[in-house]
Amino acid sequence: MNLIREIWQSIVRRDPLSTDKGKSELVFLNVWLHIHPAKVKKENLRFKYTFYLGFITFFLFVILLTTGIALMCYYRPFPPQAYQDMKDLEFVVYMGPFLRAMHRWAAHGMVVCVFLHMCRVFYTASYKKPRQFNWVVGVLLLLLTLGLSFTGYLLPWDQLAYWAITVGTNIGSYAPIIGGQVREILLGGHTVGEAALLRFYVLHVAILPSALILLTIVHFWRIRKDGGLSRPTWKLKPNQPEALVTIGAPAQVEPLRTVAASKDKTYGLMEVVTGKPIFETIEADEEEDAVFSYPYAFFREAIALMVTVTGIMAISLFFHAPLEQLANPAKTPNPAKAPWYFLGLQELVSHSALLGGVVAPALMVLALLAIPYFDRNPSRRPTDRKWAIWLFTIFVVVNLVLIVIGTFFRGPGWAFVPPWVHVVAGAE
Amino acid sequence: MGICSTVGPCCCGGGVMGRRLPQIFFALSTLALVLIVVAVWQASTPSWKDYQRRFFQLESQAEPNAVTKAAVLATPPQIHQILLPGLQRVDRCTTCHLGVDDPTMKNAPEPFRYHAGLGSHIPSKFGCTICHGGQGLATDVKGAHGSVPFWQDPLLAKGYIRASCGRCHKEGDVPGVPELTAGRRLFETEGCHGCHKLNGVGGSIGPDLTEEGASHRSPEWLEGHFLAPNVVSAGSAMPNFHFTKQQARELSYYMLSLTNADMGFFYSSLRLIPSPEYGRQLFEEKDCIVCHAIGGVGAKTGPDLLAVTKRHSPEWLDEQLVNPQLVYPGSSMPEYDLEANARKALVAFMSSATAEDAQSILAHRGNALTPADVAIEAGKRDFARFGCAGCHGTELQGGVPNPNAQGGQIPSLLHVSDDYTKGEIIEVIRNGRVPPLENPAGPTPPLYMPSWKKLMSDEDIHQIVDFLWSKQQKAKDSW
Repeated sequence: MNLIREIWQSIVRRDPLSTDKGKSELVFLNVWLHIHPAKVKKENLRFKYTFYLGFITFFLFVILLTTGIALMCYYRPFPPQAYQDMKDLEFVVYMGPFLRAMHRWAAHGMVVCVFLHMCRVFYTASYKKPRQFNWVVGVLLLLLTLGLSFTGYLLPWDQLAYWAITVGTNIGSYAPIIGGQVREILLGGHTVGEAALLRFYVLHVAILPSALILLTIVHFWRIRKDGGLSRPTWKLKPNQPEALVTIGAPAQVEPLRTVAASKDKTYGLMEVVTGKPIFETIEADEEEDAVFSYPYAFFREAIALMVTVTGIMAISLFFHAPLEQLANPAKTPNPAKAPWYFLGLQELVSHSALLGGVVAPALMVLALLAIPYFDRNPSRRPTDRKWAIWLFTIFVVVNLVLIVIGTFFRGPGWAFVPPWVHVVAGAE
Repeated sequence: MGICSTVGPCCCGGGVMGRRLPQIFFALSTLALVLIVVAVWQASTPSWKDYQRRFFQLESQAEPNAVTKAAVLATPPQIHQILLPGLQRVDRCTTCHLGVDDPTMKNAPEPFRYHAGLGSHIPSKFGCTICHGGQGLATDVKGAHGSVPFWQDPLLAKGYIRASCGRCHKEGDVPGVPELTAGRRLFETEGCHGCHKLNGVGGSIGPDLTEEGASHRSPEWLEGHFLAPNVVSAGSAMPNFHFTKQQARELSYYMLSLTNADMGFFYSSLRLIPSPEYGRQLFEEKDCIVCHAIGGVGAKTGPDLLAVTKRHSPEWLDEQLVNPQLVYPGSSMPEYDLEANARKALVAFMSSATAEDAQSILAHRGNALTPADVAIEAGKRDFARFGCAGCHGTELQGGVPNPNAQGGQIPSLLHVSDDYTKGEIIEVIRNGRVPPLENPAGPTPPLYMPSWKKLMSDEDIHQIVDFLWSKQQKAKDSW
């Protein structure tokens, strides 16, 4: 019995969880310290503030990694074997349809959740100082997510994939000077073919996931260093005038930066470290509002994980991933549509190739990247930032409307066809 | 969990919420477990396992010995598949159709019945879908029979399965499928090539038919279309050829046999074994004697073919048969669209052909040839080969309706020499022509004369014109 206890102790190296010291050490002596401090503020756990969208996005990514690695065991990235492998997954691989459906729905879910997460961060003004750059990292993660979804779209090598990528890469080629070359580098040729499939595969399973993992680590680490998840500070009790403290320099030299200080201690690591804080500070009376990360934060996050996993599993049991006929460069479906998240772009392109295909998306990305530096309003209170909220809401609504039009209201020849009107496909 | 009560009312419901967290987590974990069990159950009970169980029961009934009976019943279920790299397909039909090659299952109920009358086309070498259609990769009934969205090639209707013989037996008579042979002949004689491309040869007014057999068209649609094109697809430019029901059926057979799929060497028809006899048959069919002589017997337009295999390598001859223009730019020899084996057979015949062969071939043709006859004969063949007959009629009578063109129909060519000079007609063939409109405000007529200069050589055009003029002469003579 003693031996077992000894082995257990050698693994966990902490006091029992029934004690506060044990709870604290669970975090402090573990890799968890990179994600959470030993104690977190209660407002951080508030569901209605974050909706746990960041976590859900991350968990979806974990699902995608695991199912994706499993799928790689069954997939050959060259035509037409790629398509046959899809059929094999559907018909002979044990739980193959389930596996593929999970990957597909998690991918769509991730695009949606990344976008919703961005909206949440904007509406709560969580991108403001000191988190400006983390917003930029977040926008890059959004782009990487779209890139992953787009490259994965081609891999089944069916008609849907082939033409969606053909249309998608054509949109990119409208960029002046470099557009055509970028497309050629991406496709390894002038049309979507064997080379394109291989390149998209390499991007999908190696380059983009590595970049995404790297940036995710930066994203999480910065949240941690910036004082944990953002919270509605404007709802807290009015602060006393903040004491300021300089960081990183002796008194006679120009200070690196000046930040507000708490009265006497930092509640950063083990809740007992003395010294001066680095960034966001905790008021003494706030301290009472903190709870141990274990179990309060960890269990909530574990619940978010389980909700995500069970949700995706339940959907995948009943809705299998679609697969159309083998890609045929000679037969263009009418209309040929890009993946749904690019249909807003395609809709714009149908009005003006240069404006819709190049100028609008470039401006959109630049505007998103610039938001934290452009928005000089220091307040995070919603009533103080009506303009910002209005502008962003318009941006979101316009995007959604364009996507809805492109998805549901466009028929053959990109003519306006309401979804309730039946179009006879293939009429001659 | 005592800590929570000391924290006081917390934002998410306070201590109560905190205490419930592990419970919710546990409940969700249980739900996940249930979902995994459901997924495993779904994956472990495919319908083919039921079929296999039923088959083994059927099989065990015939076993007299209790031990073997038990052994048969205990056969582990597994997917059967026939790998056919030569046909680029994998057929898993035998996963359920387990009795296909077991004669004792002659009277078994479907899907276990023995497939009689296959001859040399045994399932282990040919699979099933090459003849029957359907989705060989699939392992569920609906998917395998191919009547699902996004599968081009569903099971062929029972009366039309033999159409797929033509997928491998691409030339000549197909034993046991007279419809197919007749359909092919109709396609040639009615001039379908004039509007439709097939393997790169033919006009472009109508759709390319190279892959018509894989276009998801039902036999009923095809037959209806041949009987009355406009009824099945409104606004079709295709004239009504007034085919009989039988002819429509024959043409449908031919259409269903058209695929672009690469069948692999092994699967090409046995008839195409490149024997000298087959070569001789082709020599007669393609009327080579009209241009070539063997040992001085025959026409002099092309070179004498006696001992041609000694003058040129087989590779050179093969290339010459594929594309004469590449070997001899300006050659007047037409392209014949011959299979690889057909070309080999012709070369084989060449190596042994003598003047006597030429003599007997000429005798078979019935009439001796003068050089002028040779040119006219070639023009007649070009007229048929390029599909001019499709619109202008096999007897040059014209008369195919062409709404809003002057006269409302395709002009007859019987009196063309009265209205045009040879030079004018050559220009019309070379550059094509849109017919003058009956009513200038009306729609463009669906049919027009295409430009042929990219498809026909000058030699071809001159021969066709000579042929046309020869017909005029005859018409005038008889009058």
